[in-house]
Amino acid sequence: MAEIVLNVEDLTKEYASGDRTLTVLDHVTFEIQAGSRLSIIGPSGSGKTTLLGLCAGLDVPSSGTVTLMGFKLNAMNEDDRAYLRNQYTGFVFQNFQLLPTLTAIENVMVPLELRGEKNVQTRARELLGRVGLGDRLHHFPSQLSGGEQQRVAIARAFITAPRILFADEPTGNLDEENAGQVVELLLDLNQQEKTTLVLVTHNLELAKRTDRILRMKGGRVVEEMLMPVS
Amino acid sequence: MIDYYIRLKRKVMPLWRDPWVWKMAWRDARHNRSRLFLLVASLITGIAAVVAIGSLNHSLQQALDQNAKELLGADIVINSNKPLPAEVTSRLDTMKVPTAADAEMASMVMFMNTKQSRLVKLTALRGDFPFYGQMVTLPPNAYSQVRNGRYAILDETLATQFEVSSDDSLKIGNKIFKVAGVVTKMPGGGGLTSTLAPSVYISLSELDSTGLVQFGSRISYSLFVKTADEKQTEKVVEKIKPMTKKFRYSYETVERRKEGLGRSFRSVYQFFTLLAFVALVLGCIGVASSVHIYAREKREDVAVLRCVGSTGWQAFNIYFIQVFFLGLFGSVAGAGLGAAIQKIIPVIFKNFIPVELPFSISWTSVLEGLLLGAIVSVLFTVLPLAAVRFVPPLTVLRTESKQVPRRSRLKLTVITLIVLFPVLAATWQTNSLTKGLVFSLGLAAALGLLALVAWALLRLVRRFFPAHAGFIFRHALSNLYRPNNQTQVLMVTIGLGGFIIATMNTVQHSLLGQVEFRGNTNQSNTILFDIQPSQKDGVISLMKDYKLPLNQTVPIVTCRIRELKGRSVEAMMSDTTNRIPDWALGREYRVTYRDSLHVSESMLKGEMQHFLKGSRDSVWVTISEGMQETLRVDVGDSLVFDIQGIPLRTRISGIRKVDWPKDPPNFIFVFPSGVLEQAPQIWVTATRVGEGGAASRFQQELVMKFPNVSLVDLRLILSTVESLFAKISVVVRFLALFSIITGLVVLAGAVVNSKFLRIKENVLLRTLGARTRQITQITLIEYAYLGLFAALTGILLSIGASWTLCRFFFEIDLSVAWVALVIVGGAVMIMTMVIGWYNSREVISTPPLQVLRKEG
Repeated sequence: MAEIVLNVEDLTKEYASGDRTLTVLDHVTFEIQAGSRLSIIGPSGSGKTTLLGLCAGLDVPSSGTVTLMGFKLNAMNEDDRAYLRNQYTGFVFQNFQLLPTLTAIENVMVPLELRGEKNVQTRARELLGRVGLGDRLHHFPSQLSGGEQQRVAIARAFITAPRILFADEPTGNLDEENAGQVVELLLDLNQQEKTTLVLVTHNLELAKRTDRILRMKGGRVVEEMLMPVS
Repeated sequence: MIDYYIRLKRKVMPLWRDPWVWKMAWRDARHNRSRLFLLVASLITGIAAVVAIGSLNHSLQQALDQNAKELLGADIVINSNKPLPAEVTSRLDTMKVPTAADAEMASMVMFMNTKQSRLVKLTALRGDFPFYGQMVTLPPNAYSQVRNGRYAILDETLATQFEVSSDDSLKIGNKIFKVAGVVTKMPGGGGLTSTLAPSVYISLSELDSTGLVQFGSRISYSLFVKTADEKQTEKVVEKIKPMTKKFRYSYETVERRKEGLGRSFRSVYQFFTLLAFVALVLGCIGVASSVHIYAREKREDVAVLRCVGSTGWQAFNIYFIQVFFLGLFGSVAGAGLGAAIQKIIPVIFKNFIPVELPFSISWTSVLEGLLLGAIVSVLFTVLPLAAVRFVPPLTVLRTESKQVPRRSRLKLTVITLIVLFPVLAATWQTNSLTKGLVFSLGLAAALGLLALVAWALLRLVRRFFPAHAGFIFRHALSNLYRPNNQTQVLMVTIGLGGFIIATMNTVQHSLLGQVEFRGNTNQSNTILFDIQPSQKDGVISLMKDYKLPLNQTVPIVTCRIRELKGRSVEAMMSDTTNRIPDWALGREYRVTYRDSLHVSESMLKGEMQHFLKGSRDSVWVTISEGMQETLRVDVGDSLVFDIQGIPLRTRISGIRKVDWPKDPPNFIFVFPSGVLEQAPQIWVTATRVGEGGAASRFQQELVMKFPNVSLVDLRLILSTVESLFAKISVVVRFLALFSIITGLVVLAGAVVNSKFLRIKENVLLRTLGARTRQITQITLIEYAYLGLFAALTGILLSIGASWTLCRFFFEIDLSVAWVALVIVGGAVMIMTMVIGWYNSREVISTPPLQVLRKEG
């Protein structure tokens, strides 16, 4: 049996809204095996992004547990969770989230540098070459197009060879052509690096290219679909 | 699935062992150096002010040490208001020490070229004074001429004022003195002394011939002694000290003069230090405010870093390293600027200082500045940056995710240190915990009140928003309320400089108003004193000839206090527990006698006369309110006066409130008539002299007929006080300028901080059809509003502060200098507009597409 890299159990997230309590995630349970691809789909406000944030340890649940790579996130403090993210995860966001004051290569190097690794430039160069930005290493994000920025973000996400990659609407801010290129890149790298992928998307076509789809509505998982092996 | 739990082994690296944070700090900083520089630029002026004033103190101390003997002109000076008795001089003769002497008195002199006259300080010199330093004259031999004949030399300012040349002569008393030259430098003199009392110098041997030394003349005699070394100085002091009380003289040595001057300058220096410190505190506010905005802007970047594995401390350290090193850079620049200012300091302060200031850089002050800068860079940046540690990584997914305010030990420690910082720093600067505390509380109160006034003003404007004004005016005004605009902070920082200058102007105006003769046609503006009883009728008749009103003719008797409430003054002065100051007990009093209150007086307690029938203590005198408090006496208490050697027992019958500036002369003690009529006395008359030729002719005839009678033109005092204020205000304005510049640097920082937001606003306006001219107008009007509100904040508070100072410190009525306040307000507004506009040029000229692309 394959290793379980992410286990979500009875996860609930509530927010106080004035006198009322707003439940944005309601008793969600699922798990992901290493190397698999999972997409979370659903209408706006269904709790997709909240679920992704909780899975990655970016937020803490109101109840329930998240176990990432065998570590229970609930028991950890923020800095420990950050360390865990650095060791095992990668991120791709809808709005790229590159550091505007760093060049493309510097952005890519950050996660490895945080680990204290030396000679990280070679790996960053190689990755940027693989995403087609070998000639834009020293450009700042403001000097790159949206598609190029997202490719830098993908390179950054893969530089640590993460065990699990969280992607939040990675094509949401891109035109059709760029979106297509980014999807191919993301999935190729995912396959090559044997990374587990957790993808939040509105794009059903993209979701269909993953192994499993969780459909969410009103904070609950209303449907789970297994995709045929391609 | 097995439910297992693994504890993470995470290495925690301190700042200095984490190369990544240093690398990140550098990478992040290089992208926007000029903006980061503005974060700490406000520190530069503050540090510059502190270093400049510190260096001034150092140079002054050095100059005082080097020129100590020159300040006194001798090793010992013995001062008395009577010629020194033979008993004292013979003791000095036996020691065979070189001596010189002078006699100083106030006297009228007439400038024969123009026939104008003026009251001057007449100094009659004998011997080789000064023994140290040099009296510099023009021509150089002028002083030697004075020693050998009927020649006079006069202060350069006086010669310039009355257009005196070397061919002219002066009438001093009964005699005509030829002008030998002017004094350009006198050891220990010049500066403010010369402004208050310009001097004319003659030979002591010529003084008697002038006929000025008469009964009642107030003359100060000084004997200057030169000794071979400190040992001999000590010996001379041993000889003269025992007789000081008996013959009522005092003595001063070089060391005592140095200490005295040191004390006086320390007070002035401390005041200036605190003014400089205000600029530093403003700089701190500027730094904290800019870093706060900077930290907010970095939230998203921090969230990304947290997402990819950075700890809260690592994120904090990146920005802390940046602001700390920039703070150090700012401190170095500030210290450099402060040292450079040393070049102009001697020019600004020349009227305060009796010695020439050398240009020297005090490395101690520079180090102090650097240390202060380093402390400020840590203290005032840590608090706003502390929030960075707690930025939730979720912000990468939801920018609106709230940061829960957290208490941390770091925050609490820093807040405590920030509260302590001004107290400790001011204590350090003034060497006094009390002063440090008072200053810090005062500054906190001033800043708090400024913030309150600024807040109230902004609320009022919002409440009564001019809804019908034109679009440009409305839009510019509403810009002040944009999020993170720091409007209130800017109003406080710019307003504080305006507050200092406006307060100084208002207090100055109020003080001058006291000396001024507010058009009251009956009030005296001229006082004639030292009139001998035999001259009284003649002087009155002369005044009548010139149709001058005789507002007051009062006799003056000089006396001293011998006993107070049954205790002898000598006993009280040697009693260490006595709380009445020696000067009040030992001084000479000039009293008068009359049975009614003067127009400037009112009874506070008791009555004007009180005859106790059958009692031998039948002389009841009244005392002025202030001196009653100083001497700690009350109605019914006994006083024994020494009237020219004759004891006179009196009791206090009442306490008068005296409006001193009103219709002078006014008196501390007033005796009843029928007691002092036979005592030796002089007379004083007060009148009102008009402008023009008649007034000048009256003065001429007075000097000719009654050369010993002195005339005090109160209008001249007014102009003297004005010029004194002018000299002080140059320095205060100079130091207040640091505060204003700091405020403007904070403004520049705030404008640059909000640049992107402003560009977005302008792009929107342009998209909606606004032209460059309109956008420029909006920008200019926005800063005009900001300048106006900041100035109003400062001015409103300055009126309150001036009232407090006038009412409780100077005890005078407040008189607001509206014109000066309008000028201060206008200047602050224009400077704000210029700085605001200059830093917004890029905002105005950025093409919309560039922004849209950046946004994309």
